[in-house]
This record gives sequence, structure tokens and C-alpha cells, in this order.
Amino acid sequence: MGHFLIVGILVIAVSVLTYFGLDAVGLMPVQASAQAVSIDWLWNWEIVAISFLFSLIVVPMTYSLIVFRRKKGDTGDGEHIEGNTPLEIAWTVVPLLIVLVFAYMGAYSLGEIRRIDPDALVINVKAQQFVWTFEYPEYGIISKELHLPLNQQVLLKMQSADVIHSFWVPEFRIKQDVVPGRVTEYRITPTLLGDYKVRCAELCGSSHAYMEGPVIVNTQAEYDTWISEQAVIAAEAAKTPEGQGELLTVKNGCIGCHSLDGSKMTGPTWLNLYGSDVKLEDGSTVIADDAFITESILYPQAKEVAGFAPTVMPPYALNETEIANIIAYLKTLK
Amino acid sequence: MKSVSPLIRGWLSLAIGGIAAYIIGMGLVFAVSGSWTYVHLVPILFATFGGAMAYAWGAAGISPLTKGLIWMNAGALGGFALGLMIDWLVQGSLDWAAPIASLFSLLAGFTAFFLGVAGLNAVSKGLLWQIGGTLLGAIFISAIRVAMGLTWSGPFLFTEPAWVLGGFMGVLFFLGGNGAVSDWFKWARGMDTPEHHEETHTGWVKYLNISFDHKVIGIQYTIVALFLISVGGLFALIFRTELAASQLQFLTTDIKLFGQNGPQLYNTFMSLHGMIMIVSILLGMAGITNFAVPLLLGAQDMAFPRLNSFAFWISVPATVLLLMSLILGGFDTGWTGYPPLSARAPVGMQMFFLGVFTSGWSSILGALNNIVTVIRMRSKGMTAFRMPIFVWAAIATSIIALTATQFIGLAFQLVMFQRLFGMGFFDPAQGGNPVLFQHLFWFYSHPAVYVFILPGLGVISELLPVFARKPLFGYRWIAMSSLAIALVGFLVWAHHMFASGMNEYLRVPFMYSTLLVAIPTGVKFFSWVATLWKGKIWAPTPMLFVLGGIVVFLLGGLTGPPNATVSTDLHLTDTYFIVGHFHDTIFGGFVFPFFAAIYYWFPKATGRRMNEALGKLHFWLMTPAFFVLSFGMMRIGLLGMRRRIVDYDPALNFDYTHLVMTVGGFLIAISVLIFIYNFFNSIKYGEKAEGNIWNSRSPEWQVASPMPAHNYDQPFEVVGEPYDYGLPGSKYVEFAAPAKATTHHKGEN
Amino acid sequence: MSHHQNKSAAYGQGMVIFIYLAALTALEYFIAVTFNAVSILVVVALIKAALVMYYYMHIYKLNEDSDDDIHSYAYKTGTNRLGLWLFLLSDAFVFAGLLTTRINLLGLTRPHLNQILGLAVTALLLISSFFMNRAETAMTHGDKKGFITNALITLVLGLGFLLGVVAVEWPLAAAEGLTASSGTAGAVFYMLTGMHAFHVFTGLIFLLVIINNARKDVYSADQHWGVEAATVYWHFVDLVWIFFYPALYLIGKLL
Ligand code: HEA
Ligand code: HEA
Ligand code: HEC
Ligand code: CUA
Ligand SMILES: [Cu+2]
Repeated sequence: MGHFLIVGILVIAVSVLTYFGLDAVGLMPVQASAQAVSIDWLWNWEIVAISFLFSLIVVPMTYSLIVFRRKKGDTGDGEHIEGNTPLEIAWTVVPLLIVLVFAYMGAYSLGEIRRIDPDALVINVKAQQFVWTFEYPEYGIISKELHLPLNQQVLLKMQSADVIHSFWVPEFRIKQDVVPGRVTEYRITPTLLGDYKVRCAELCGSSHAYMEGPVIVNTQAEYDTWISEQAVIAAEAAKTPEGQGELLTVKNGCIGCHSLDGSKMTGPTWLNLYGSDVKLEDGSTVIADDAFITESILYPQAKEVAGFAPTVMPPYALNETEIANIIAYLKTLK
Repeated sequence: MKSVSPLIRGWLSLAIGGIAAYIIGMGLVFAVSGSWTYVHLVPILFATFGGAMAYAWGAAGISPLTKGLIWMNAGALGGFALGLMIDWLVQGSLDWAAPIASLFSLLAGFTAFFLGVAGLNAVSKGLLWQIGGTLLGAIFISAIRVAMGLTWSGPFLFTEPAWVLGGFMGVLFFLGGNGAVSDWFKWARGMDTPEHHEETHTGWVKYLNISFDHKVIGIQYTIVALFLISVGGLFALIFRTELAASQLQFLTTDIKLFGQNGPQLYNTFMSLHGMIMIVSILLGMAGITNFAVPLLLGAQDMAFPRLNSFAFWISVPATVLLLMSLILGGFDTGWTGYPPLSARAPVGMQMFFLGVFTSGWSSILGALNNIVTVIRMRSKGMTAFRMPIFVWAAIATSIIALTATQFIGLAFQLVMFQRLFGMGFFDPAQGGNPVLFQHLFWFYSHPAVYVFILPGLGVISELLPVFARKPLFGYRWIAMSSLAIALVGFLVWAHHMFASGMNEYLRVPFMYSTLLVAIPTGVKFFSWVATLWKGKIWAPTPMLFVLGGIVVFLLGGLTGPPNATVSTDLHLTDTYFIVGHFHDTIFGGFVFPFFAAIYYWFPKATGRRMNEALGKLHFWLMTPAFFVLSFGMMRIGLLGMRRRIVDYDPALNFDYTHLVMTVGGFLIAISVLIFIYNFFNSIKYGEKAEGNIWNSRSPEWQVASPMPAHNYDQPFEVVGEPYDYGLPGSKYVEFAAPAKATTHHKGEN
Repeated sequence: MSHHQNKSAAYGQGMVIFIYLAALTALEYFIAVTFNAVSILVVVALIKAALVMYYYMHIYKLNEDSDDDIHSYAYKTGTNRLGLWLFLLSDAFVFAGLLTTRINLLGLTRPHLNQILGLAVTALLLISSFFMNRAETAMTHGDKKGFITNALITLVLGLGFLLGVVAVEWPLAAAEGLTASSGTAGAVFYMLTGMHAFHVFTGLIFLLVIINNARKDVYSADQHWGVEAATVYWHFVDLVWIFFYPALYLIGKLL
């Protein structure tokens, strides 16, 4: 009995220490959504269970290794114990109960995060290699930034233009894949002001690591201001060809691969592109004129720019005016 | 010179040879590309192989290994030059240089190695035939294309269809050419063959040749598995180096190797790391199973010796295909190969699919053989519940491998066909369904994770009583828990798809079924602890690995349920938390027990023991290093580190943890190198192992080591329980009275 | 069981089973063109499968006691038989996966195919199974000539099926616009029939091998594992078609 008592006390002590140790380290990022609450609640109980079960196995094991180790010169065997049916039943049934409780808690927590607010704000999300674009259908706004009002449930209706992506803001906890050919939904109620990032969580190609986009939780007032500003900007841009070109590059996700500030992303930068000499893979150079740019958009594989993977850029079936607008926009990037 | 020890001579030559080869490699790169852009890898490879060659030379003079390595270098260089020439002839420039020349270099290098080691043997013959078959298939399709007025050349010399048929024919030619199927061809022509061929090769050369002896095949599997662990591990080290700090420093966008830039290479290395490691598990466990099961059952061999050898040999060309995928443009999908991404990846994707498909057959046929062996080949008196516990694990594993493997084969085949013939199974534009692929894929790949661990847990259960000197606690419960894990494992696959956009109502039932697996697994853990309780425990190297395996697997197992409860998984999925979860389960369920099994049965196979001090060093280096690696993974995963990214946001402050993890990874690699050294060194110089060195009750330890050719000279009868340690006068097996006059004749058995 | 029957009784049993199978096939066709009840079609297919497995493939032989001497031909045949059945089980998972794909992608619709042709090739395969059964029965009774004749008929019928699908049906379907890349219906059709045709093809090679070996007197009434294996494999290929035929031609609404 003595052994059992010592081990029992040790198991409890080690479980408690493990749990509070883990708790002190802090395992999760900040909690920024209503849905995160029920996830973190479940997670916390799971850490409790893990701490206990880990100790329950490792403590008696370590204890045996120390106390029941073979003494020098002893060549005999241990006690002949073949098994114990009540014990086996106990450690089958008790974990079964634990597991059922956790399954129930899991279902409950899932129900919580899927609770639907009929007045949720709807935003359309488009994912494509390697950029997120957000459309506010009521205002005709298309943006690279996702702005959300505080404490209001939003429903993201997500579509992919090419391969599978996954929408994840670690502070919101929830993740949802965006699958081509269907619309997937993502519901969230932001509860903490701040700047976050959506990080694509499904491998989607060579620049998957960089498929991130700003997610900004505003107060309702700030949010309203932002919306009205954007609406004005969009309306202004639609008036000029270069403005329309700019909108097109956002809408088609070009800026996911092409930077405007000279930095190198998946594709060549657009800063000072128009009229420059572009080095091709085979050593020759071409001038980035209208013809070359048109070709690059319609048939990206036709000429390989040096230093970039040729198969990455998808062909875009844009019409003549659209391409002309984009070119007009490119010209402004000096 | 005489006075210097071989070891020192070896290391000295390693240093000199390595540096010289590095310089040559750099020069070559510069000569070909006029720049230093692929500086990173080619010279390092040169240095590695050149160094290895010099080491072998310095340490042992012109031994077969030295010769092999010399040939390998010559072959690799020759192949490289040939590739460049073809390239230049076809293209007029050196644009294809990197991939094609490297491919030739790889194939020629491997082939030359085995030719150099032992002339024409089953490996070198097979590889030669595989090269021939690949070219033939590729040229055949190219010719048809030319006849149809299509272009014959693609981004990697040939077009994709040509490479696919080439890859496929390569496998067939390998098997046809190396002799693995010649008996079957004889049967097809109505000829009889002796049941067992006498080994025509003796000594180590027999491992390079066709053998039907399950022990030889088991060792062949094990060696290939160790090779693959090294390759997969090397890939891990390469990408871990990039991950050591945020931003790109090593696999940058400027480098170009095998037609891929740095981030693309990262994806290829990462994906191949996953799959090559998984294949190494399948082969490693097949190795242990092959070696141990007939011995434990008292059988002379597996039920189908030819099928056994076939199942092994098919994994060799499969390995070559997997490596070819790296060179032919790589692929960037992870080991899971989800379409639509995999439907767009470069040709390497097809080689990957084909390689997995081929090694899948190895798994299927091996499993089939196993089941039949257990059902039909047990010795007298061995009832189901008197079988050694490892056999139960092997059965449970085989049930999964036999059936579910077909699903991954099919899933990959469908993507291959989608690419080749435009069949739109997973193409939404044609009405296809990308999520269907995930169902087909995980229907295999989840049960497969139990294939990874069940034999390992079987090893743990098998060895614990020996080193605790106590009966295995609750034998029947443990036996049944293996079956339960395997069967429930079939019903849980969609827990990998909680965030995939599949039907939402499926998530809750799959959560329940997944959590159920915890129960039979728990039975094992509790029974293990109870086995240790009040034992007389001693811990030589195999036991250390058993104990390490238990703790590591426990951590992996306990991090399973949080992934299974749907809402938490929505945070955890596709993060490093998952990566941590499965490195824990895999190390605990496979890597540790695999090493335990090798340390334990090595004396049985070779008659010598592995060095105990080096074994302990291996353990005490690997275990803490591994904890650092896996705890690091879980911590950053929770905080927002996604999987499969070449670079991470510096703002997340993960740099320090990643650096420590990388160091951990390298320490594991060093410990594995120590193991490999110990392994090969002990074959020759290890301490002689006489008799029952572990004092085990298992039948194979009651006879001499190494095991005789047809296993037991006298059949045995099972007369008691397998693990009755501590029961005076009890016996597990009884050998028939030694037949005095009748000597054994070959061919009769 | 049937092993000990006399020859004509065994032939007779094969005939009766064939008649059942043919009638059930006709019934399937009738249901499909009239009220298309999926559940009945599934049940009928299952009944057909059970008949084939029991009477043509002799699944009960797995249970047969074999010789105690593990070096005897009988014991080894028992071992081989278990191996073969496990292989078929494994292979069945390929086809199960294909059916899953079909159900997932097409649901209760089916591609537009030539019904008469479908029925014709199905009949060819079914009749071939009948002759295969006769061939095996002949061999179990040591009738080498009977074996070769029946096996050759099977071979010809099987070749007819293969060509019917690959050389007639495929071009016809393609001409009507159902191609591999025309959508999921085409993809499913070519994949399922293609994978099945591949198995028929290997079965034909297997048949050639055993016919050739029989001519060389490799087999006898007691020792003919090769013949049994080829037979079981051939019936298995038929068994698959029992499910593929309704899955492709009968079940669901026309697209
Ligand atoms: C060796 C392989 C192995 C093993 C054994 C396991 C075991 C388990 N795994 Fe793991 N898993 C993987 C390998 C493995 N896994 C891999 C490779 C992936 C990632 C694939 C990829 O995407 O690349 C993965 C991913 C993965 C996911 C998907 C995560 C995601 O991508 O979103 C899930 C979700 O449910 C999961 C769950 C589990 C569970 C519940 C177990 C259970 O079997 C664990 C059971 C064991 C215990 C629980 C511990 C011991 C039990 C007790 C002490 C009894 C008491 C316990 C309780 C009452 C809880 N695993
Ligand atoms: C058996 C299975 C196994 C093993 C043993 C390992 C071992 C290691 N793994 Fe893992 N890993 C996987 C299976 C495995 N892995 C899988 C399935 C994935 C998922 C892939 C995917 O997402 O698709 C993965 C993914 C994965 C990732 C995530 C990558 C990403 O998401 O971007 C990381 C990151 O750190 C990692 C690291 C490591 C490290 C450092 C080791 C170390 O233990 C490695 C130690 C090194 C060695 C064991 C080699 C030692 C030998 C030599 C150096 C000699 C070389 C000589 C010659 C070639 C002759 N692995
Ligand atoms: C997935 C990444 C990606 C997206 C999205 C993308 N591009 Fe590109 N783009 C590239 C890459 C890589 C190259 C260079 C390689 C090549 O020539 O194909 C490139 C080259 C170009 C060039 C050639 C000239 C140069 O040097 O920049 C133009 C012009 C161009 N892209 C325009 C666009 C436009 C317009 C869009 C959106 C409608 C777009 N791209 C979307 C990746 C992308
Ligand atoms: Cu998009 Cu990853
Ligand atoms: Cu799983």
C-alpha cells in the first residue's frame, strides 16, 4: 500500500505543477473574438486532462524505474502477476467516460462558435495565389485590408480563384479552408480592438508563406469613417483609366505578387517597370512596352523574366480596355 | 603512416577529401552557370560524397565500399557530363542543365556505386534496367508524339506523359531485370522451381542479391529504411537551416537548383521529407516484421518467399522515383498532394505519385504475406493467445496496410490521370470535387498512422517483460487493443478535414469516433506501467529506447484529443502544433521502438552485439534533442506558426525558438550518425553474443546466434504462456528431441 | 462440396447458376428502364455477387480442412488460396474507391451511353464466366480436353468483352461527346471501365498461361492450383462488373 500512496501523492503533485507551469507560460495568443472564448475554455480543460494523464503514466513509470530497478547481482525475476481483470475494466471504462465528456464539451463548444446572428455583416472574401481581397458588397468597395467593426458578428463568404487556401487569424482562433468551386463561410465576432493578420494556413504554392493580409478591428465609428472614405476613393478611381487600372489590379489580385515599392515578391516589382529593360531568362532583354505587358498578362509563359519561376503567374483573360487601363496605371508607378 | 590508426587516417582523409571536393564542386558550378548561384547545394553534395569516399579510403584502403564510392563519384560526374551534353545537343544552350544533368548524375551515381561495390548484383542490374526502361518508355511516348505532330520535348527534356510512362516502365524493367520475378516467369511457362534456392552468395554480398530468406529480406528492408531516414533527415536539416531565422537566408529566391528557386525547393524538400520518412517507416517496420514474425512463430520462412522478395525489391525503384521527383522540378504540395495544387505542380509531382504508388504495392503485398504467414505457419501448440504479442501487432497493422493502401494509390492515380488526360475528378471547373480527394486520401492516410505505430507498440510490449522480468500485464487486452485501434482507425479519417469545407454535420460523429481510439491506446499504456510495477528492471540500450518511446508516444497521443475536438482543432489544424503532435507520435511509436528492436535483435541477426556505450550515447543525445524540437514545435504552433511555410513573420518573435529547434534537429542527426557508425562497425568488430543474452523466453533466443539458414533445426512445440517470467518451472516452447542421426539436407525444407 | 460431385452434376449446377444470373441481369435491365428503383438494383447486384462468390468462386473452400503436413500440395494450396483471396480483398478496395468516386461525383445521375451495347458486353462477360466454371470443373475431373476447349471459349468471350468496351464503346461514346476531359461523367466512365478493362486484360493473360500449361500437362485432377487461381480471378473480374454495370448504365437519371 505504501508504494501506491506515495505514487498517488506524486501524481497529484506533478499534475498540479504541470498544469500551473503550462498556464504560467501562457500557451495561446491573445483572445480577440467571442468565438475564441469557448475554444479557450475547452482548451484549458484539455490541458488539465493532459497534465493529469501525463503524470498518471510517467510518475509511476519513473517511480518503478527507481524503486524496482534490479539490484546488483540479482538475476531473479519479478513477481508473477499476469493481469487483473477489474483493473483492466476500470482503465477501459474511466477513459471512456472522460472521452465522452470531452466529446460532449467539444460538441457544445462547436455549437457556441457556430451561433448565428441573423444581422451579421456580410463581406465577400476572394482568395487566390497569394493574396486576399475583400469586397464590401453594400458599398462596392474592394480592398486588400479587412476592416471589422467591434462586437458585431461578421459573415465572410469565401471563394477561391485557383487552389485551396485557408483563412486564419490566430487571435480569432478559427480556421476555414477556401475551396475552389464552392463558397465556404466563416463567422466571427471581434471583441478586441487592434491590428491582426489573416495568415493563409493551407499550402497553396511557392509564396504561401507570404499570403498574409491586414485585419483591422475598429470601433463602429472608425469603421464607418473608413467605409465612407473607401467609397469615395473607389468612386474617384473609377473616373480615370489609371484609377480603373488600379482597381483592376486589386480585384484580380495582381498586387499579391507584384509590389509597388520596388521590393521583390513572387513576381517582379511594378515600380518603374513601364519602359524599362526587362532581363529575360535566356539572357536577352526586352523593353516593357504595351505589347510586352499585354503579352505578359494574357500569356505569362511566353517570355520568362530572369529570376522568376515561369509557371507561377496564371494567364488572365482581360479585355483590351482593361489591359489598357492597367497599363495606364503602371505608367504612374514611378 | 602505419602507426596512425585507421580511424584517424579516415577522418584526416575526410577533411582533405571533403574540402577538395567542395572546391571542385564550386568550380564546376561556376564553369557551367557562370555564376555562384547554386553554390549552396552542389558543392556540399560533392563535399559529402568526396569526403565519404576519402574517409573509406583512408580508413580501410581499397575496400569494396571505397571502390563503390569511387565508382559513384565517377558515375555521378560522368552522368552529369552526359546530361549537359544531351542538353546542349537538344537545346543548343544549357538551360536544362541543372535538372537533366543532375538526374543523370543521380542515376549513374547510384548505379555505379553498386557496380563498384560488388559488380553486377541485383541492385546494380536492377538500376541499369530501370534506367533503360525509363529511357525506353520516355522515348516511346516521345516518338508517338512526334508521329502525331506534337512536340516531344518539355521543360525537363521529355514531356510529362513521356516521363510518366518512362517512370512506370523503369519500375517494371527493374523488377524484370534484376531477377525478382524470374521464378514466376518460370512458373508461367510451366516449369518447377525449388522451394528454396540455396543462397548462391555468402557474406554481405547476399544482401545485394535476390534472397528468399525472410531474415535476409528483413535486413534488406531495414538497411533501405535507414538509408531513407538519412535522406529524409538530410532534407529536414536543409529546410530547418532555412527556418533557423526569419527572412530568407539560405533557400533564397536567387538560387536555382533543379529548376526551382529557394522557396520552391523548400516546399519540395519539406514534402519529400514527409513522404520519404513515411516510406522509411513502412519499410523499417516491414523489416522488423519480416525478420521477427517467422522466428516468433517457429516458421521456416514467410508463407510466400518469392512474394516477400518481390515486395522488398519493388521498394527500391520506388525510392529512385521519389528522388527523381526532387530533380524533375520538384512539387510543392506537402506529402498530402491535395489537388488542385497538385494538378498544377511540375513534372516532379508525377514522379512523386508514381513513387508512392509503387511503394504502396510493397506495403500491400508484404501485409498479405504477413497475414497468411500468421494464419498458416505457426508451430505446434501456438494458439492465438499464445502468440508473442508482437505478432498481434503485425496482424493488426497488416489488415490496414492490405486494404486501405489501395485508397491512397487510387487517389494519387486519379490526380495523375487528371493531369495526363484532363479527367476532371478534382477540377471544379469541370464539376469535380477537390474535397473528394481528401476523403480518399485520408481513408488510407489516417489508418496508415496506426500502421506506423502498431508494430512499434508491439516491440514495446514484446521487450518490456524481458527487461522488467515480469509477465506482460493483461496480455489479451493488449492483443485486442491492437485490433481495436486498427479497426476504429478506419472510421476516423475525416478528423483531418474539420476545416476543409466538407459537410458540416460530419464533424461531430468523426470527433466521437476519433476520441474512441484513446481508449485501447490507454489500455496499452496502463498495462505497460503495470508491467513495470514491482518488476526487476534493468535498462540496457534496447530498454532505454523502449522507455523513451513510451514517454514520447504518450506526449504525442495526449496531444491527439485536442485535435479531435472540433472547435479546438479549428485553431490547431495546419499549425506546428500538429507537426509537434505527429513528430511525437511517430518518434515514440516508430523511431524509438525501431532503434530498440535493432539493438535487441541485432545479435540474433549477426552474432555480435552493438556497442553499449555508443548505444547509450545515441539515446541520451537523441532524447533531449528531440524534446527540444517537439516542444518548440507545439509552442510556436499554438502561438500562430503555420505549417509548410518557408519564412515567418519576424513580428511573431519565433526566431529564438526556431533556432533552438534547428540545433535540436542537428543533434538528432548527430545521434543517428553515431548509431549508423555503431551499426556497421559492430557487424565486424562487435562483441560476440553467445546464447540468450537478454535472458528472454522467446523461441528465437533459445537457439544459437546468428540464426541458422532455415531457422530452427528442430521444430518446437508451444507448451506454455509466452511471458511467464517469475513462474518457476514454466516453459514457453519445447524443442523436439535433437534428432541425432538425421542430418539436415538442403532442399528438403 | 462440389469437389466431390460427379462431373455432370457439377456442370448442371454451373448451368443453373448461370440461368439465375442471366435472369437477374434481365431483371436489372427491366427495372432500370421502367421504374429505376436504386435500392432494388443494389439488392439484385448483391444477390448476383453472392451467387458468383459462392458457386463460381467457391469461397467456402477457404474453410476447407487441408492436409496437416505443411509440405503437402494440399496444404500449400490452402495457403495460396488464402493469399489469393486476401489479394482480391485488397483489389476490391480499388473498385470500392472507384464506386465512391462515382457516387460522389455523379450522385443519382448517369452518363448517356449505348444501352444495347452495354447489355451485350455484360452478357459476353457473364457467359464467359459460365464457360470458365465449366473449364475448372473439367479440370477437377481430370478432363484436360474439356478444360482447354472451355477455357479457349472463355478467352474468346473475354477478348470480345475487352474489345467491345475499349474498341467499340469508347469510340462511340467519344463520338457522342463523352470524352475523358468533357466533364466528370466522362472522367468517371473512362476511369471505371478502363480500370476494369485492365483487370480483364490481365485475366486474359492469366488464361493464356494456364491453357498453355495445361497443354504441357502441368495440371492434374488433384494438383491444379494455377487453374483454380485463374478461375477465381476471372470470376472476380466478373464480380466487379456486376457492380459497375448498374453503376454506369442503370442507376440514376440520364444526364
Ligand atoms: C504515428 C502516428 C499517429 C498517431 C498514433 C496519432 C494518434 C492520434 N491522432 Fe494524429 N496525426 C498524425 C499521426 C498520428 N496521430 C499525423 C502524421 C498527422 C498529420 C497529418 C498531416 O496533416 O500531415 C495527425 C493529425 C491528427 C489530426 C488532424 C489535425 C489537423 O490537421 O487538423 C487529428 C485530429 O483529430 C489527430 C488526432 C489523433 C488522435 C486522437 C490520436 C489518438 O490515437 C491518440 C491516442 C492516445 C492517447 C490519447 C494517449 C494515451 C491514452 C491514455 C493515457 C488514456 C487516457 C486518455 C484519455 C482519456 C484522453 N491527429
Ligand atoms: C518518420 C517520420 C519523421 C521523422 C523521423 C522526422 C524527423 C524530423 N523532422 Fe519531420 N516530418 C514528417 C515526418 C518525420 N520527420 C512528416 C510526415 C512531415 C509533414 C510533411 C508535410 O507537411 O507534408 C514532417 C514535417 C516536418 C516539419 C514541418 C515542415 C513544415 O511544415 O514546413 C519540420 C520542421 O521543423 C520537421 C522537422 C524534422 C526534424 C528536424 C527531424 C529530425 O529528427 C531529423 C534528424 C535527421 C536525421 C535522422 C538524419 C541523420 C542522418 C544523416 C544526416 C546522414 C545523411 C547521410 C546520407 C544521406 C548518406 N519535419
Ligand atoms: C501568382 C503570382 C502572380 C500574380 C497573381 C500575377 N502575376 Fe504577374 N508575374 C508573376 C511572375 C512570377 C512574373 C515573372 C515571370 C513570368 O514572366 O512569367 C510575372 C510577370 C508579369 C509581367 C511581366 C513584366 C514584369 O517584369 O513585371 C507583367 C506585366 C505582369 N506580371 C502583370 C500582372 C498583372 C496585370 C496581374 C493581374 C491581373 C498579374 N501580373 C498577376 C506572378 C504573378
Ligand atoms: Cu494561400 Cu496558402
Ligand atoms: Cu488521423
